[in-house]
Amino acid sequence: MLNVVVVGAGTMGTVHAEAYQRMTQARLVAVVDIREDVGTALADRYGARHYLRLEDALLQEDVQVVDVCVPTYLHRGYVEQAARAKKHVICEKPIALTAEDANAMMEVCAREGVRLLIGHVVRFFPEYQRAHHLVQLGAVGPVGTVRTFRGGAFPIAWNDWYASADKSGTLITDLCIHDFDFLRWTFGEVARVYAKSLWKQAFNRMDHALVSLRFSSGVIAHVEGTWAAPSGFRTAFEIAGTGGIIQHASDEATSIHTDLRASESGTTGVAVPESPLVKSPYQVELEHFIDCLITGHTPLVTAEDAYEALRISLAALQSVQTGEPVFLREGLQ
Amino acid sequence: MKVGIISFAHMHAYSYATCLKQLDNVELVAVADDNPLRVTEAAKQFGCAYYSDYRELLATDVDAVVVCTENAKHADVVVDAAKAGKHVLCEKPIATTLDDAHRMIDACREHGVILQIAFPVRFNTPMRRVKQMIDEGQLGRIVAMRGTNRGQNPGGWFVQKELSGGGAVLDHTVHVIDIMRWYLNSEVKEVYAEVDTRFSDIACDDCGLLMLEFENGVIASHDPSWSRSETFPTWGDVTLEIVGTQGVTRVDAFAQHLTVYSDLDNKVKHDFWGDEMDLGLVADFISCVREGRTPSITGEDGLRALQVALAAYESARLRKPVRL
Repeated sequence: MLNVVVVGAGTMGTVHAEAYQRMTQARLVAVVDIREDVGTALADRYGARHYLRLEDALLQEDVQVVDVCVPTYLHRGYVEQAARAKKHVICEKPIALTAEDANAMMEVCAREGVRLLIGHVVRFFPEYQRAHHLVQLGAVGPVGTVRTFRGGAFPIAWNDWYASADKSGTLITDLCIHDFDFLRWTFGEVARVYAKSLWKQAFNRMDHALVSLRFSSGVIAHVEGTWAAPSGFRTAFEIAGTGGIIQHASDEATSIHTDLRASESGTTGVAVPESPLVKSPYQVELEHFIDCLITGHTPLVTAEDAYEALRISLAALQSVQTGEPVFLREGLQ
Repeated sequence: MKVGIISFAHMHAYSYATCLKQLDNVELVAVADDNPLRVTEAAKQFGCAYYSDYRELLATDVDAVVVCTENAKHADVVVDAAKAGKHVLCEKPIATTLDDAHRMIDACREHGVILQIAFPVRFNTPMRRVKQMIDEGQLGRIVAMRGTNRGQNPGGWFVQKELSGGGAVLDHTVHVIDIMRWYLNSEVKEVYAEVDTRFSDIACDDCGLLMLEFENGVIASHDPSWSRSETFPTWGDVTLEIVGTQGVTRVDAFAQHLTVYSDLDNKVKHDFWGDEMDLGLVADFISCVREGRTPSITGEDGLRALQVALAAYESARLRKPVRL
């Protein structure tokens, strides 16, 4: 049994706290959040204690794991603090906003002898796992081109931190990184990156990114991410090989379509799409991470993988700014 | 009005012929093709005269010709048609080189005949509806676009570069670039592209990815790959996503289909039930000729789309963006 403190009681912190609640191998003992009301509410819901500062939680609680769910620009500080206190670290993606920060986080964890696990949860989504598996099996033969889509409405969160490139690293670093990691996991290293986005154009809280990735294997991938839709969220991908095509579209894989009539008490009618699973991908991810901490096994996604995904994001951002391709690896003509 | 078709090398000629037969006051009087079997069968199918040499057809009293030769032969045929005073509907891409395209445009202007390029997607009803939405400002200011025009390797002369001018990137870039230009009223400023042969063992490209920036600042991407597998339920697609400051729309030119699960063919197939876009294209051409007005899709439009495709090849070769 590992005791966990979740840092950050926002959207992801809440999802993680709920996941620990359902686990037998881990127990949520504390929630850290600088907001008294939000932190207390989450802690109370799961029978944990709330602390305003991580150092107090570490002093007063017997914890083995610190799960960092704060905005990205704050990752490094909390990860370093946890590692120095000899706690294993689970940290939300992206690992950091700069390669320097990511390196520092990996170094401090290595030095202190604790593990650093980064929550690239897409590797735990069954549709992405199945696709990865099918490609490994050669189900569609050698792959020629790949397309991914991810996005929807602009995310509303504490302090509007997603709107600030200094805090979220932009759409490309925060959202497209999911697909960069999935693609690198499935198709190997990226040779070059070229990208266009609306970043630094006159759009507050609206971004759209189109990214071209050329893999060392020759695979050509198009990654599209958006925070420009008025509503909703969806994902899609397509993998085209010489022997077939694998397609996924989240809006087509919806298993339940409910349309509720407006009630007499005045609630309006609403359409609710659902695609339920016994275990959410976040639950599967955290159970795997906790298991890796207990057994010492290598996780499905390592801190080095997270670092490489960040490098692809940073290359894409560089390409957006310079208008030139960024060559990460030589070898492909 | 009397119309002739020059060459059935491009299979769209059969569709255009069928469309011509459906129009009132238009007569498909002759076909020409240097392939003897093809021309006799076409003449029989469409009930018209035939010539093995297109110059014989140009010597008749036809008012207009539809040119569906191999891409590399467009220029000579169109220039000859212009000299013979025949209006021209030319299959896309306009040509395989910019020089040829200019030669065609100049000849048609000099001889006072209409040159229309066959971009039938402009006559696809959902595509036209989106054009209307954009023009009415429903999406606000357009900021980004994403296109696809995937297909299957057509084989034959399409994969012989000396006849086609290029593979998938030329064949399947021009339609969507034309639609993007039409939607935006802006020209492509810069092109970056990945181009490769990854699906078939052929001597020309069969896949790629274009990254674009328009003069008005709109960013865009386009996938022209011949990446549809044999078991894919249809030949390919034409799709666009348009991101505006007031909304986002996705349009699929061929979404209006039934899905047929056929044990007889051992295949799943789409059966399209939307409006026939080729008919709109051909009818528009005929009315342009009749009314003597500027065609809705000009030789210049064909040239601009060709420029983008050729720039994509250059970008892939240089591994850097190419400015137009």
